[in-house]
Amino acid sequence: MGLKLENVSKSFAGKKAVDNISFSLEKPGVYGLLGTNGAGKTTTIRMLLGILNKDSGKITWNGKAVDRKNVNFGYLPEERGVYQKTLIMDQLIYFAELKGMNKKAAEKSIKEWAKKLKVEEYLNKTAEKLSKGNQQKIQLMTALIHNPELVVLDEPFSGLDPVNTDLVKNIIIELVRDGKFVIMSAHQMATIEEFCSDILILNKGITVLQGNLKQIKDSYPANRVKVDVNQNIDSFVKECNLEIENEVDNNYIIKLDDENKAHDLLKMLVQNNVGVTRFEIMKPTLNDIFVEKVGE
Amino acid sequence: MKNLFTVMKFTMREMVRKKSFIISTIIIIALIIGGFSLPKILSAINEEKGNKKILISDESNVFEGTLESLKTMDLPYDITINKTSYDDIKNKIENKEIETAFIIEKENEQVKIKYVVENIRWENEVPQDLFGAMSSIYSNLQISKLGITPEQLQMITPNFETSVEQTQKDEVEFQNVFVMMAVSFSLSMAIILFTVQVAQSITTEKTSKIMETLVTSTSPRTIVLGKTIGIGLIGLMQVILFITTAIICANVFLDSELINMLLNVSNITPGFIIITLVYFVLGYFAYALLYALTGSLVTKPEDIQSANTPVSMIAMIGFYLGYFSISIDPTSSVAAFAGMFPISSAFCMPARIMMGLATPQDIAISIVLLIVMVAIIAKIAISVYSNAILNYGSKMSLKDALRLCKEKKK
Repeated sequence: MGLKLENVSKSFAGKKAVDNISFSLEKPGVYGLLGTNGAGKTTTIRMLLGILNKDSGKITWNGKAVDRKNVNFGYLPEERGVYQKTLIMDQLIYFAELKGMNKKAAEKSIKEWAKKLKVEEYLNKTAEKLSKGNQQKIQLMTALIHNPELVVLDEPFSGLDPVNTDLVKNIIIELVRDGKFVIMSAHQMATIEEFCSDILILNKGITVLQGNLKQIKDSYPANRVKVDVNQNIDSFVKECNLEIENEVDNNYIIKLDDENKAHDLLKMLVQNNVGVTRFEIMKPTLNDIFVEKVGE
Repeated sequence: MKNLFTVMKFTMREMVRKKSFIISTIIIIALIIGGFSLPKILSAINEEKGNKKILISDESNVFEGTLESLKTMDLPYDITINKTSYDDIKNKIENKEIETAFIIEKENEQVKIKYVVENIRWENEVPQDLFGAMSSIYSNLQISKLGITPEQLQMITPNFETSVEQTQKDEVEFQNVFVMMAVSFSLSMAIILFTVQVAQSITTEKTSKIMETLVTSTSPRTIVLGKTIGIGLIGLMQVILFITTAIICANVFLDSELINMLLNVSNITPGFIIITLVYFVLGYFAYALLYALTGSLVTKPEDIQSANTPVSMIAMIGFYLGYFSISIDPTSSVAAFAGMFPISSAFCMPARIMMGLATPQDIAISIVLLIVMVAIIAKIAISVYSNAILNYGSKMSLKDALRLCKEKKK
């Protein structure tokens, strides 16, 4: 059940854009699709939505081939766009009707979503009068008003201010709570870590890492230690053969190549009566893993 | 099918809400009303203004007083006849007492007539009717001096009764030519102008990046056909509105004799109207789909003009071939070819049918050829559109788009 991609490939003019990728979403949740620009994320999304034909492989939703007819999906493309000179209400009704809703149900749903996304006052305005952030929220509404089962969000937070980012985050949490399958592509690794249980990292069309995010992180050794103290500890760090990455007001981030060295440092600080308010051995962040996997 | 109506409805609503559409419709209706009412307005202005005031000065008494008979003739002038010098005439014209004047002089037995005007404008041209009447009066005066009686004069003046007899009945119905040319021209212009709107509409969606959302909501075929039909229906409604306005204006402002002279209503049968509509629809589809193809290749609004040029050239060749071949000689073999050739048949076949120049067989072949062309263009246009609309890089060439279509088929 759910969404399944098996050995999917796509080439443009003889150049592989996506090479033999496979992943599946078997239960509601957010799946993270990561990669640098041109890695093949958008091509993958376009193939799974049926906008682009795949060269090989299989894409199924609940066992059936994916196309517009048998999957009720919502899509927020990376290329943002709205009809600039059309009333917001009219264009949202247009897209809702194309997705099979009747006008009355569409209006009801639009009003509900407008309330959630705080854009009610713009419904009877043309898009050209809205800020980019609000236009983006309107486009998100286009993806959600018809209550889709599968939601594909390509860079949903790019261009949003912190307030609107929080608003959209809450919407995504709500979607998962409502049992939706969400595929999200984003450059902000912190956001992916916040939402995604499973991820796939693409580099030049090839899968370089995929699986459960927690398991992936657990498979990596600790690489930093965070220490908040009441005095300068540069000499102790040096004595333990460690390197300071950053220090602000005696709050240290120290690079770690061996977890035992962190234990030695803690011992040394205690023995020398240094006031330690925080000592945290940290696993690599998703950002670290991403840079390691796709960095040149 | 439901989505096709949704796209059509949205396209039509967007189109009629455009300021440019509303303004151009109002302007064209105003021009139609203005054009038809102009003769009446001009004649009303002339009536209000009264007859033109003309002075005739015969200081040398060349006409020996016979010019007074001009006043009894049915001429649209207030004529004053006296002996006034050139300077006085100049003053009278400047003071607007008179508008123009004739000065008659005789030098060495040669009669000279000067026509004095304030400046040379079209309305100040020599009034040929008055000049003719003066020539006639002068001839009569000279003939009477020769001692010829009016009866003798009548005998020597040619008074032939002429008439024209045809040996063969006309095969061509020329009575409706003027109206048919006007209708044919309007339909051609409507086809050319509205098909360009299809390209603009597609390019706008592409450049505003709404396309990706749209193609995940419905199929590219539905989008292309929905847009094409929607814009075509608006175009047809606009043409019907203009023709209706023209018919109403003709009835209100033109003399019924003139209308009857220009238009033989008996030739405008329901069948003819249906065939004209069929040609309009097919011609529109052929060019609209070609413009849909070029519109989908463009990524920036500024490129649309250059992308549309090849299609505009084909449309212009079709229009000139169709329209001018029937304007110059509707019975020529060029006109017959234009009626069959799919790129020009929509522009001239309705006129040929109305003139009685096309047999039912000609019409059937012409329509079949046009349908085949529309089907081929539709297949290519929809295929290119599906492949080219998500290209946001540089403008895609038709060759690249066709290559993509081939790759997709494999």
